[in-house]
Amino acid sequence: MNYNNDYQQPSLWRRISSVWYRHTRVYNSNFLSNAFPPFLEPLILLAGLGIGFGSYIQTMGALNYILFLASGIVVTSSMYTAAFECTYGTFIRLEFDKVYDGMLGAPLSPTNLIAGEILFAGTKGFLFALAVLIVTWLLGIITYPLSIMAALIGFICGIMFGTLSMWITSFVKNINHFNFYFTGLLSPMFFFSGSVFPLENLPLGMRWAAEAIPLTHVVRMARAFCVPDQLGWYLITDLLYCLIFIIITGWFAIRGLNKRMTD
Amino acid sequence: MSETAIKIRNLVKSYGGLTAVDRLDFDVSIAECFGLLGPNGAGKTTTMKIIYGKAKPTLSKDTVIDIFGCHPGRDALVIKAFSGIVPQQDNLDTELNVKDNLLIYSKFYGMKTREARNRIAELLDFMELQDKAGVKIRELSGGMQRRLTIARALLNKPKLLILDEPTTGLDPQVRHLIWNKIRELKEMGVTVLLTTHYMEEAFQICDRIVIMDKGKKMLEGAPHKLLSANLEAYVMEIYGSARENVSDPLQVEGAGIRYEEYNDTMFVYSYNADKLSRLAEVLDISDYHIRQANLEDLFLKVTGRGLNELQ
Repeated sequence: MNYNNDYQQPSLWRRISSVWYRHTRVYNSNFLSNAFPPFLEPLILLAGLGIGFGSYIQTMGALNYILFLASGIVVTSSMYTAAFECTYGTFIRLEFDKVYDGMLGAPLSPTNLIAGEILFAGTKGFLFALAVLIVTWLLGIITYPLSIMAALIGFICGIMFGTLSMWITSFVKNINHFNFYFTGLLSPMFFFSGSVFPLENLPLGMRWAAEAIPLTHVVRMARAFCVPDQLGWYLITDLLYCLIFIIITGWFAIRGLNKRMTD
Repeated sequence: MSETAIKIRNLVKSYGGLTAVDRLDFDVSIAECFGLLGPNGAGKTTTMKIIYGKAKPTLSKDTVIDIFGCHPGRDALVIKAFSGIVPQQDNLDTELNVKDNLLIYSKFYGMKTREARNRIAELLDFMELQDKAGVKIRELSGGMQRRLTIARALLNKPKLLILDEPTTGLDPQVRHLIWNKIRELKEMGVTVLLTTHYMEEAFQICDRIVIMDKGKKMLEGAPHKLLSANLEAYVMEIYGSARENVSDPLQVEGAGIRYEEYNDTMFVYSYNADKLSRLAEVLDISDYHIRQANLEDLFLKVTGRGLNELQ
């Protein structure tokens, strides 16, 4: 056996995708317990809000309420899954299981790890959005073929909440502190993003606040692909917001976690 | 050009006010097994981590870190591509089984699946884990996890193997197995850098060692040479109340031999074993033991018998 092979480091893309591959393999090894919830969640929301509110509210603006609701929740579960993955998941790998320490013995940099992880959060965002779409297609609520594009918006949503959550994780010392993030930030975001009620009639201050939060922009883009007459160039602003948000939070996440992973 | 694998000069690492590594110098030759010895908190692990870029050294004038021509600040990924790293704590992926742990790790090196499968079969054989391919990590004993961590570090056929306390907490059988494997690897030309606080381990497999204490180098050399140069050949240990028979310590010194006392044991050193047993007779003590001085005595002589705050 020749032990003097001069292995070169793999290319940047191969390094990032190998991290992504690790997460995918682990995710698939618990396939059954992981495949169920993404389909169950939209059913519960549609049943709870749709049947409950739906019997009082028939239309929301120009849209049928059930369609409004269904198109609004396509990407909300993408937000939650990416946020869980990149807070609790990342923290456990970082602090408890020491999986990252093991991986850093291979030719990977902390930045490669973070990028692979965020890419995986995007993938989960895509899959969860797709699951919601499948449920709404089967129920006959969303009928546009172009609605498949909303799954891609789920990917963007996953990346966005991946970078934001990794940044949060970079300075959280105690795993219980994530409760503040979920209850204090993500729960209000869920309601004030235009997912379950429209933002148009909110007081001006609240409308501005709603425009400031990231979820609003992905909800708007996803809905535009699922309902009639909403696609337009105005969505470029939302896409731009997402890109800038990803770059800024991603930069903070990489800086903070690099510090945390190096002694 | 000399056959130097690792060259370290004036290495310093401080965490806040604590100096973990203090102006450390050493060289490791190619295909040599080099050991860093010292009590907990001596700076061994920190030194290792600096070598593969997990820790950053404190900037200091004249610091040299040369790992096969690479510097971890610049080429950490290159260093990790040609090295195998076995950290102090096993950090296997507990969510995957034995084979998948290795398969996924091989992807980090950019290995192709077919090449990786062959290599994994080879390594499971080498580390005597061939029956465990499908077993979950949690079901492996500590010794098996350690062997798997070593197998993982060998996936890329490294020319430098970095082992941080490879056998701490393992039973004698596994320890001997690991020592044998390290010797085999060395014969195949692998340069080995390891830390340990087992003196026997250093004696068994290291060509040269550095004894560290509080971040500083205390002694450096081949284990047996260090021993003969710094310590008498024999030790007599006198235990418990028998010690009190040595009513006048001067009696001991009068016989031309050195002694030290620690807790309930007195250590009496001499180059001559007969001299020690005669002394035992003269002193009329029964509870004693004469043995060859070993690296452990040297270690304790150099680093002190008391505990430091990190132990």
